[in-house]
Amino acid sequence: MRFQSIHALLGSAGLALALGAMPAFANKPCIGASLPITGPTAWAADSIRMGAEVAIAEINAKGGVLGQRLSFVAYDDAGQPPRGVDNARRIAESDGCIAMFGGWHSGVALAVVEPVHDARIPYIAVISAGTRITENDRKPNYMFRVSMFDRWQALALVRKSKEVTKTGNIGVLYEDTGWGQGAVPDLKASASAEGAKVVGYEVFKWDDRDMTAQLIRLRDAGVDTIILYSRDLEANQILRSMQRINYTARIVSAWGNTGTLGELAGPLANGMIVLQTFTWMGNLQPRQKQVLDSIMSRYKLKSPEDIKHGSGAANAYDAVYILAEAIRTAGAYDRTRVRDAMYKVSHQGIVQRYAPAFTPERHNAILPENYVWTAWHNGRILPIAQTPYGK
Amino acid sequence: MTAIVQYTLSGLVIGGLYAIVALGFYIMWSAVRAVNFAHGDTLMLGSVLSIALMWAGVPLIVGIPLAIAASAVFGLLIERIAVRPLNHGPSSVGWMLSTIAIGLMLEAFVTVTFGADPRSLPSPLMGTPISIAGAGIFPHELLVPASAVALLALLDGFYRSTMLGRAMRAISQKPVAAGLMGIDVRRMALISFAAASALGAFAGILAAPIIQVSATMGLLLGLKGFLVAIIAGMSNARGIVITGFAYGVLERFIEGFGNTALREVLGFGVMILLLLMFPNGLFGQREVNKV
Repeated sequence: MRFQSIHALLGSAGLALALGAMPAFANKPCIGASLPITGPTAWAADSIRMGAEVAIAEINAKGGVLGQRLSFVAYDDAGQPPRGVDNARRIAESDGCIAMFGGWHSGVALAVVEPVHDARIPYIAVISAGTRITENDRKPNYMFRVSMFDRWQALALVRKSKEVTKTGNIGVLYEDTGWGQGAVPDLKASASAEGAKVVGYEVFKWDDRDMTAQLIRLRDAGVDTIILYSRDLEANQILRSMQRINYTARIVSAWGNTGTLGELAGPLANGMIVLQTFTWMGNLQPRQKQVLDSIMSRYKLKSPEDIKHGSGAANAYDAVYILAEAIRTAGAYDRTRVRDAMYKVSHQGIVQRYAPAFTPERHNAILPENYVWTAWHNGRILPIAQTPYGK
Repeated sequence: MTAIVQYTLSGLVIGGLYAIVALGFYIMWSAVRAVNFAHGDTLMLGSVLSIALMWAGVPLIVGIPLAIAASAVFGLLIERIAVRPLNHGPSSVGWMLSTIAIGLMLEAFVTVTFGADPRSLPSPLMGTPISIAGAGIFPHELLVPASAVALLALLDGFYRSTMLGRAMRAISQKPVAAGLMGIDVRRMALISFAAASALGAFAGILAAPIIQVSATMGLLLGLKGFLVAIIAGMSNARGIVITGFAYGVLERFIEGFGNTALREVLGFGVMILLLLMFPNGLFGQREVNKV
């Protein structure tokens, strides 16, 4: 009797251990997303949805992935890291999605590194560019990016600034956020590597209405070219403040202000150069044109400019295809296997050819040689070659 | 020297906005010893309605008064729905929660209906800046401190020279006695909340061409306006305007000669220090309650 009890206990313990050790194969064919659906950057969330949903619709029209239809579930983080963390847990634990996309804010993406690794859910950043999102010292690393990578962006901005400056004095104006603060070490390293003379680093906060103090300091330091990390809202205030103190400097900008700046500042933004991963304006290749037509038809847009974050839409579109390919390669809706399969994906996207999309050393899919320079001109952001500033 | 003039001018502009917002708090506090914590959102409401009416084809000259009137109705509703039922004397705090909640609801509603994109309200006076002692300022910006001073004079005249103003002052000083003398305390409360909201909407419309219009535009302005009202002493309109200007200029000088991070640390630090030194506010008088 005693032996029987011991056997029964050991049997139960063994079963429990076996069940506990079993990998969870039951992840669902949904892509969760934590996006700033409300707040001043909600337009970026709209763009991500456009790209992701059109790609999912195309994939589902061809039978889905491994016989299952993909779906897209987006939750609002309003740009707030704690809400992003809640969303990540909900997507991973409650919804059981196979992967997660992240939105605009690098601060939110950095905050979800922990819950993403706790849940072992592959995360793909489709806009946020902060270096530490993918360079997070985690092994295995579940954070991927189909977007701009700040380290590469910083280098491109420094090189461009060196090209356009006349006095040789470059200044940096950045927002006091995870994204802006995170870019400073990259900018310093790039400036040092390129021998660029950065004579001032100035910071501002979100919703600041007057930047004259920062600009007076840059002006007095002889800066004629400003590297800018800002949203549209603050970029407009910077331009107004420059006008107020009669300060003209060339602005070479990271891609935070590609949305409503044209409407807010109009011709005041003329000549601001902005780095992006993609633009829907200008001459498109047939595949790109087809995707644009699908987006415009599905969301009843009047013009490509209505995709307020063009790069975000294109990145999200490509990211869905890369993920779908990784699921096919993995052969199951299993997060760990899908993460491992990310290194085996080769795909011709609309932004670039991914061959492969990622390597264990490189979790940033879009390469710097495929970044595109655009410029604001009379309220529109265009490929720089189509503006007077590309000459 | 130019920088000093620049920071002073910029400080007077933002300080003027704080002062106008704070005057709204003053009006409400004077009447019912309670305020609308969604007062910052009346700034947003006024400017959002102005833009919405402009989009609907209503000329701004008509749309702006309509937006101010609608905001006054909003203030009236706040008093009737969120403050009066929950304000039962000095220890009542329910109205704080209800007004904050209504503000958050309004922000969410505006985000959904108006959109989250920041918008611009045009002003012909924001085209080209003018130079004052080498410092630049847009003519529209000069309207802000000028309006703050004009509103102060107007309020002063209203409280001193009109029956309604005197009645409101009487309520603020001795509500029970004023009631016994036949003054309709509830009506005065309604009027004060409506007037404060109209003032808030006016401030929002004044600010809209300088800052952008969005659902959250009133959040920080409302908070700092309240701070200014507390530091000045809630029941002194002149003190409120002076403190508003001083706080705006202080912020700009800290930013100019220090940095942006220091602005909030030092700005709020100075305010807390002042409050410790003058618990009734810089210009407030100690209130004595006889029991």
